[in-house]
Amino acid sequence: MPQTNLWPRLRPLLARVERPARYLDHEWGAGAPAGDAFSFCMVYPDTYELGQANQAVRILVNAVNAADGLAAERAFLPAADMADLMREEGLPLFSLEGCAPVGEFDVVGITLPHELAATNVLEVLDLAGIPLRAADRAEDDPIVLGGGPCALNPEPYAPFFDAITIGEGEEATPETLARIRELRDAGAPRAAILRALAAIPGTYVPSLYRWRTEAEAQEAGSWAEPIEPGVPAAIERRVFEGFARSDAWEPTVVPYTEVVHDRLNVEVLRGCARGCRFCQAGMMYRPVRERSADNIVAAVERGLAETGYDEVSLTSLSSTDHSQIAEILARVNGACDGRGIRVSVPSQRLDAFGVEMARLVAGQKKGGLTFAPEAGTQRLRDVINKNVTEDDLFGAIDAAFAAGWRRCKLYFMIGLPTETDDDIKGIASLAQRAYDRAKAAVPPDQRGSVRMGVSVAVFVPKAQTPFQWDGQISPDEVLRRVGLLKRSVKYKAVDVHYHDPKTSFVEAVMSRGGREAADWVEAAWRRGARFDAWTEHFDEDAWREAATEVGLEPEAIAQVTREPGYVMPWAHVSTGVSTRFLALERRRAAAGETTPDCTFGACTGCGACPTLGVDNELAAPRVAPAGAGATRGADEGAPRAGAPEGGACHG
Amino acid sequence: MADPSLFRLRVVFRKAGRLALLSHLEVARALERAVRRAGLPFAVSQGFSPHMRIAFGAALPVGVGGEREFYDLFLTRYVAPAKCLEALRAGSPDDLMALECAYVEHAAPAASVAYPLSTYRVDLTAPVGEWPVPDAVTVVRKKKEKELAVAEYLAGEMLLADDGRSVMFALEAKPTGSLRPDKLVDACLALMPEKSRPQRAALTRIAQSDGTTTL
Repeated sequence: MPQTNLWPRLRPLLARVERPARYLDHEWGAGAPAGDAFSFCMVYPDTYELGQANQAVRILVNAVNAADGLAAERAFLPAADMADLMREEGLPLFSLEGCAPVGEFDVVGITLPHELAATNVLEVLDLAGIPLRAADRAEDDPIVLGGGPCALNPEPYAPFFDAITIGEGEEATPETLARIRELRDAGAPRAAILRALAAIPGTYVPSLYRWRTEAEAQEAGSWAEPIEPGVPAAIERRVFEGFARSDAWEPTVVPYTEVVHDRLNVEVLRGCARGCRFCQAGMMYRPVRERSADNIVAAVERGLAETGYDEVSLTSLSSTDHSQIAEILARVNGACDGRGIRVSVPSQRLDAFGVEMARLVAGQKKGGLTFAPEAGTQRLRDVINKNVTEDDLFGAIDAAFAAGWRRCKLYFMIGLPTETDDDIKGIASLAQRAYDRAKAAVPPDQRGSVRMGVSVAVFVPKAQTPFQWDGQISPDEVLRRVGLLKRSVKYKAVDVHYHDPKTSFVEAVMSRGGREAADWVEAAWRRGARFDAWTEHFDEDAWREAATEVGLEPEAIAQVTREPGYVMPWAHVSTGVSTRFLALERRRAAAGETTPDCTFGACTGCGACPTLGVDNELAAPRVAPAGAGATRGADEGAPRAGAPEGGACHG
Repeated sequence: MADPSLFRLRVVFRKAGRLALLSHLEVARALERAVRRAGLPFAVSQGFSPHMRIAFGAALPVGVGGEREFYDLFLTRYVAPAKCLEALRAGSPDDLMALECAYVEHAAPAASVAYPLSTYRVDLTAPVGEWPVPDAVTVVRKKKEKELAVAEYLAGEMLLADDGRSVMFALEAKPTGSLRPDKLVDACLALMPEKSRPQRAALTRIAQSDGTTTL
């Protein structure tokens, strides 16, 4: 059935809103309208500027369009001014390519990029005219699919989705759509379609599970109880097994209006096995899979020629860990020479090699470098398995400032498990000594321009990590510790910035909450909460009043610390990394013992490879640079871990 | 600044259809990307942050289209204009399509001031019997309200078409500033009774000139 074209109704509204370029479509590389094909609308639950650059949107739209008989379009949440105007005018949420009502699509997919996007999911559904709860949807409403990082604890979103894909969607999404099409063509009712989806690996259909009481859950080992035979008790994460061999060039839409990460993004590797114990990404994208240098360089050349971008980023969680990174950067630099093209490389390496890689692509213009030691003392860095020493940091600082950088930002977390006031004072001490090192590394006449920034975020316990059982400190305690940090910094050239603890608190509740958190989200949205990740939109009162209304005690969810034996609300979802491994890592943290990165040495037994049937796939062996010794235990003096783990140094 | 070893290519393009809603900055970025997709041998500036040597004509506001807009692109070697045009057309979206290419002298005035006179046509959603023109238009500049005398910028009359469905007018850019065509048209419309007031269906720059030659 051809879809309605809303453009004639949309066009007159565009003179009345900010940045109409968000709503125009027609970008270079944009696809065709779905027409008569089985249609999928890929929605990012925030504005175009944030969503258009999103990797999931690009990957899934491409994957669905490449499948026979399926067509994908994009949709984004309009900015607040446009959303209000659309409601006033009775215009529903529209897709870009066909400017069709999102509610007319066969299937709507909404990615869950971070914990503060929950109310935006409801804003999307409401603007689209789709009932918020799966239970209230009629036969001819779209099937609403979810996925993305937050699907690893799907419960706070569970009632709003018909089905949720856990893990990578390259294969899972087209497979799911093809199944829905087949059943729709056969005239199957909605309930039968959902039952069939539950049989697709990696698919969670929330309506087929009863939510147990706490006592039942602790006894049964899971909160979610299948309500009929054949529904899997546990859902295992999907992995795109062919990632390393797949083409690194992916067709890309080139936006007119400026978006975040507005550049050619070439994904060079997936996964990170450094094993930082607070990090969800480090657990959820295992195993590590590298694309080859030839694949990557060809994709950069083709991508620049086809998109016309003047910047390329070699993306991944830590691209300088790629076994062929030096060769890749040398070849990319050669290919870009003289064309005014910038190259950027996100990195977690905190050592001279990481700085050398940043220097390779920085050219003459050197803005700031960012390093993430995460904690101020060696004791706490061992607890979190951030395998980096002061000497690594100082080596990186020496190299960066000698190479011409004059500004450096250091990222830390506060509220990490076991943190004491000494660790807070340690942040100040480390930053000041880093500043001294930086000053010593530059010529005397330039020392006045040396700046050291300290940026602190509040620890948010993330599902599926060794610290999932640890509570968050209260917003008041955050402010006390930030105060202590600020008083401990004596240098004027060292600035301290910190993240608002109120939004971090909501993040923690969403990260650790069970199905009851969904009522809270809906009540907050009904009170006007939306765009919670935008400081100017975050409405603390809406969330607080919503908690009272639904009888939820958010502090109990965010701040309570459990024993590692406690069954958490996402126990039925498996990333492949075993809960046993997470609990073991939590005990090692308590003992201050570190765990090495398996891509540089022996298997650490996390369980991902055997469970998922996929192994680490490196383009070449990874070799730790000189200076990095054998596996290091808890004591301060021993040689450090096999891997050159470290902070982020963004070029 | 003029490097005699470079070739100054003037490219005429249109800003049409829904892409009339792009801002000047958005258009500029889109054109630079089209040049890169075309694979032309563009020159790159020296210095800390190397960028394409390209200069744009006088800006159009969001929502205002242009039938003959232009930019100057500096090339490091000569490429036949027809070849440039073919390459640019292959890399351009329809609504920002390249129309003509020709080399111009280095001594020619800078693109941004080359054609101070702009002729516009506004198409209306409904015909009108007469077209009132205010003496002054209030605009906001740097958060301050300012009164601009229309006579200072308007070159000639605002001419209502015989069918009452469109108006043609020319505005002159002054070194001290310009009067935006959309602001002028809206100020004219505001003088009509609300009941019979049409809206702008489209506002388009149809020609640019320096008083003697037209682009």
